[in-house]
Amino acid sequence: MLRFISILAIAVFISMVTFSCSQKTSVKDGSEYQYEVLSPWAEVDAIPLRGISPRLDSLSGKKIGLFANFKRAARPIQAEVERRLKERFPDIETSLFDSRLPNVTETETVNKEKFTAWAKEMDAVIAAVGD
Amino acid sequence: MLLANRGFVNDAHSAASGKGMPGVRVLGTSIACESTVAEDIKSGIDKVFEEIIAGLTRPLTEEEKSPRVDFETQTRIAFKGTYEEVNQFFYRKGWGDGLPIVPPSEAAIEEMMKGTDLPADHVVVKIIPRMGKATIEKIAINAVMAGALPTHMPVLIAAVEAVSDPKTRFDTFEVSTGSWAPLLVINGPIRKDIHINCSSGALSPGDLANAAIGRALGLIIKNIGGARKGIEDMGTLGNPAKYALVVGENEEESPWEPLHVECGYEKDSNTLTVLFPNRYTQTIPAQTNAEGIATALAGMRPGALSCMLVIPDHAKIFSREGWSKKKVKEFIMQSSESRDSRRFGQLQNEDFIIVVSGGPGVWMGLLQSAGGFGNYFVTKKIKLPSNWEALTAKYSTMVPTYVRY
Repeated sequence: MLRFISILAIAVFISMVTFSCSQKTSVKDGSEYQYEVLSPWAEVDAIPLRGISPRLDSLSGKKIGLFANFKRAARPIQAEVERRLKERFPDIETSLFDSRLPNVTETETVNKEKFTAWAKEMDAVIAAVGD
Repeated sequence: MLLANRGFVNDAHSAASGKGMPGVRVLGTSIACESTVAEDIKSGIDKVFEEIIAGLTRPLTEEEKSPRVDFETQTRIAFKGTYEEVNQFFYRKGWGDGLPIVPPSEAAIEEMMKGTDLPADHVVVKIIPRMGKATIEKIAINAVMAGALPTHMPVLIAAVEAVSDPKTRFDTFEVSTGSWAPLLVINGPIRKDIHINCSSGALSPGDLANAAIGRALGLIIKNIGGARKGIEDMGTLGNPAKYALVVGENEEESPWEPLHVECGYEKDSNTLTVLFPNRYTQTIPAQTNAEGIATALAGMRPGALSCMLVIPDHAKIFSREGWSKKKVKEFIMQSSESRDSRRFGQLQNEDFIIVVSGGPGVWMGLLQSAGGFGNYFVTKKIKLPSNWEALTAKYSTMVPTYVRY
């Protein structure tokens, strides 16, 4: 009986040591440590959303604005669009807005008034960015 | 409606949403970016011509008339988990840079914010293109993620101010196909306080300040500015310098006045100067006298805007032979090899800077950006917190000590 109790005591001791060691290992290597972390993604002010302009019934007889940004492909792209539009709709009128300032929003430049006035005259606008 | 190369459709939608018009109709074309081939343009338009007409005539959907964007609800606490789980979560959210991050816990952020006297909710700037609010806390969170120290916070705050200055034309460089990376040139005593490497391998990995400040700025641009690779940041090839490109001027080894003094600051001021290069070249001079070194510098053909890195030994040779920095710049400007700067023609004094940096050796470097966008070098003062002495003392031992073998 005494022998059994001794063996049991040794077994319990070994299991306690083993458990203790395994606990220390998991804490030591940090694998079980729980981090509560904050978001790095910034907040923004809400922007009022706007729908796009109503579409046209037909392009026939309409004034179509062709906006080309500063990139070199933009103007030839618009020239081809213009050629095709006029081929399909002989009575169509087109007007090119040639933006020469690199990577700008025209409404935030010295051209704001010129651009706004141009856009208002158009029934629809096709923009090409050259990329 | 908008015509764009089909690889730019997501970018265009993101830009439209950012302006409050997510419904803008965008049509992707097969026309190569910046194409100069008339046949390709003709063929590309031919393929989408019916869609162009439809884009202008097809009636609007309800969503296009009254757009709604379901933004994910922002919570201050993003996640709770183990180190590995946090890293996996952040990576999947697209908040990382490919390398493991340091979990931005409340305690770590609190410690990071000791690097400034500004309150956590102070908005330094709003960063384009998303116009995310760069609060002190958000800057600190990204700094923790990058492994930065609280002593790096003053530099990061100044860096955020500098890159956002309209004079840099960050709006172009941040998201351009050219893959431009922010270069920070640090001047003043802070270099020593926070152990910015200005000597051997100044641009190589291995120094916490250089690496973590650059990395943190990259994360700030992504997570606060919202410039994500392939969506808003359309860098075609990309640029490893976007991980980190931070260098200090080796003022102690330079016989010349440092960059910030040239810019009108006191020598004991702390500043950073920002530029967005997309290429870095190095060369050696055929002759190691002043004229030989100047000829090699000119031979690298600096254009607007660029930063030339001159090593201390070469700067000393220049000085010994009576060449000031101004004279070296004049030599470079007059050199025939430097005359065809792409956008400005004759290279001008304000088109390039000379920074003395690096260690022993013979190599010199050129970090080349672009000019002609109404862009300029921007230098900002780095403002230190009131506890600076104690803070730098706390982290003073954060330097690598290499064993001999």
